[in-house]
Amino acid sequence: MLRFIVRRLLLLLPILFGVSLLVFIWIRLLPGGPAQGLLGERATPQSIAQINRQFGLNRPIYVQYWRYLDETVIHLNLGTSISSFRPVTDEIRIRFPATVELALGAMIFAVSFGIPLGILAAKKYGSAFDHGSLLASLIGISIPIFFLGLILKYIFSVRLGWLPSIGREDVLANYSHPTNFYILDAIIERNPAQLWDAIRHLILPAIALGSIPLAIIARITRASVLDVQNEDYVRTARAKGLPPRQVDSRHVLRNAMLPISTIIGLQTGLLLSGAVLTETVFAWPGIGSWLKDAIFSRDYPVLQGGILFLAVVFVVVNLLVDISYAILNPRIRLS
Amino acid sequence: MTVAQIDVADVLPASSGGLWHDAWSRLRRNPGAIVGCFIVLSFVVIAVFAPLIAPYPPEQVNLNALGTSCCPGPSAQHWLGVDQVGRDELSRILYGARFSLVIGVVAVSAGLTLGLILGATAGYLGGFTDSVIMRSMDVMLAIPGLLLAIGIVAALGPGLWQIMIAVGITNVPVFARLLRGSVLSQREQDFVLAARSVGIRKRSILFSHILPNSMSPLIVGATLAMATAIIDVAGLGFLGLGPQDPGTPEWGTMLTQVDLYLQSAPFLAIAPGVAIVLLVLGFNLIGDGLREALDPKLRGRTGRFKASKSAEESLDETRAAAFNQESGEFG
Repeated sequence: MLRFIVRRLLLLLPILFGVSLLVFIWIRLLPGGPAQGLLGERATPQSIAQINRQFGLNRPIYVQYWRYLDETVIHLNLGTSISSFRPVTDEIRIRFPATVELALGAMIFAVSFGIPLGILAAKKYGSAFDHGSLLASLIGISIPIFFLGLILKYIFSVRLGWLPSIGREDVLANYSHPTNFYILDAIIERNPAQLWDAIRHLILPAIALGSIPLAIIARITRASVLDVQNEDYVRTARAKGLPPRQVDSRHVLRNAMLPISTIIGLQTGLLLSGAVLTETVFAWPGIGSWLKDAIFSRDYPVLQGGILFLAVVFVVVNLLVDISYAILNPRIRLS
Repeated sequence: MTVAQIDVADVLPASSGGLWHDAWSRLRRNPGAIVGCFIVLSFVVIAVFAPLIAPYPPEQVNLNALGTSCCPGPSAQHWLGVDQVGRDELSRILYGARFSLVIGVVAVSAGLTLGLILGATAGYLGGFTDSVIMRSMDVMLAIPGLLLAIGIVAALGPGLWQIMIAVGITNVPVFARLLRGSVLSQREQDFVLAARSVGIRKRSILFSHILPNSMSPLIVGATLAMATAIIDVAGLGFLGLGPQDPGTPEWGTMLTQVDLYLQSAPFLAIAPGVAIVLLVLGFNLIGDGLREALDPKLRGRTGRFKASKSAEESLDETRAAAFNQESGEFG
């Protein structure tokens, strides 16, 4: 087990090195530089040269890459954003909690509907409900997330006026945010109004972002419950007269949970790497839309630091999924 | 009739005409797949005959229809209303089918070709080549797909071809992994060993023995990728990276500014959105049907047949299933 983890952690290094190199080369292939992005029409050769000097962009390319590696890896310093002049780490500290909150909200929605749906469909295998849920999940996968977002916004914000359509909280409210996880903040502050405000803002984006994981989880749950139901040990359990409910919970579900939990983990990893479209539709100040804007403004430090950060998150979450799989699965645990 | 003849007739099922014949007959009996084919074919017909079907040219501006406020809704002259600059929405949707279909085909073919070459090379050669290729694919996968695509479009400039290429490139690692897995499992089969033992060259083993047998997961993957490619390209269009000229009514691009008119003209959001959903659903239905039809486990077997799997294998399978399911759709 330990050897497995160490081996995987070592494999992380070449991937991160590759990501850093790829991002570094790629952003320098973008037409126009950060100076033009920042100054726009007002750019003069002098002002461009000054900004380039200020951010060290006038040095030879290999020196820039070396400095980037040196600063990020050895000093853990991601630099300063060229458009906001704030340290990239500070920005991540504000924006990553927004992304995590949205991703968790989406996964909670997806899991709490996806698993029961999948189990029901498997129980009623071949029935109208089963076919209906399969079709529904296929439609769920077929809806572009930004379209679903627009429709949700239209129904629940524009038409019914039940839920806010943009942002993480009421712009006029003046709540304090010790952690930047707004729901957690509200609990720390013991402020029910703040909590309700944070939850209300989260609902629509979480549903939009959770729709695809919901469909995937429902399908995997159905497939794996069907798979396990036919196993010999389930037949044995039934044959020896265990009550059906006990067979379901102890034998079927427990074993069916293996692939389901893997999918949940993998999907969470994907959602954590930024939901650009959902964040754009709902003006959610997460890490995805921030990096999207950084591409347009050619904000090199934000891109270099932010994408590397997301890559680390993605790889680490995947590693955690594999480890938890190994822990959950006795066949691996014991070998 | 000799005894031998009777035996053969009894033992062989009547429909046994090879994998493709089998698959086709199973596909035909799958109502979902039939509906999917019907949807996709309808869009193909619409795309081909758009100039004949559409009531107006897609870029024609009708200022009279626009009236005083933005966007009068559906009427006898304009079945789906007009957009914010007075163009007929229905005509734009019909013409848009052309672009979405071309987008799907080009983006997937680009990703597939590169992924096929990389995946097959990695899987067949193994060793160092395999490590280098697959680690590079891991690097690409570690960068969020949509950001990678946006970055590619930012480098190439906005436009239809650019977003197709961008989505194609983000698809490469998906296909490379798919094909590598498939080739790896074929490489150990007896017929490959037999071919090798009679001295057939590596390259022709790869092309005439392994690849043809690795095709079925690839076909399923490509069909499903078609669906996600259409969604992903629409997403890039939605972010304003799509074709900039008014004569190219790409569906995602049509949704770009719709946020501003959501209150006054919701139909402007609904029409292109529904078109995307229908076409994507069509491809997903076909892909799903193909997956079932081409599954060798189901082929010509009654009852369940399952070789015992090692735990590592089942993890890989779950991952593969997850991959197939999500196939890189942008969030």
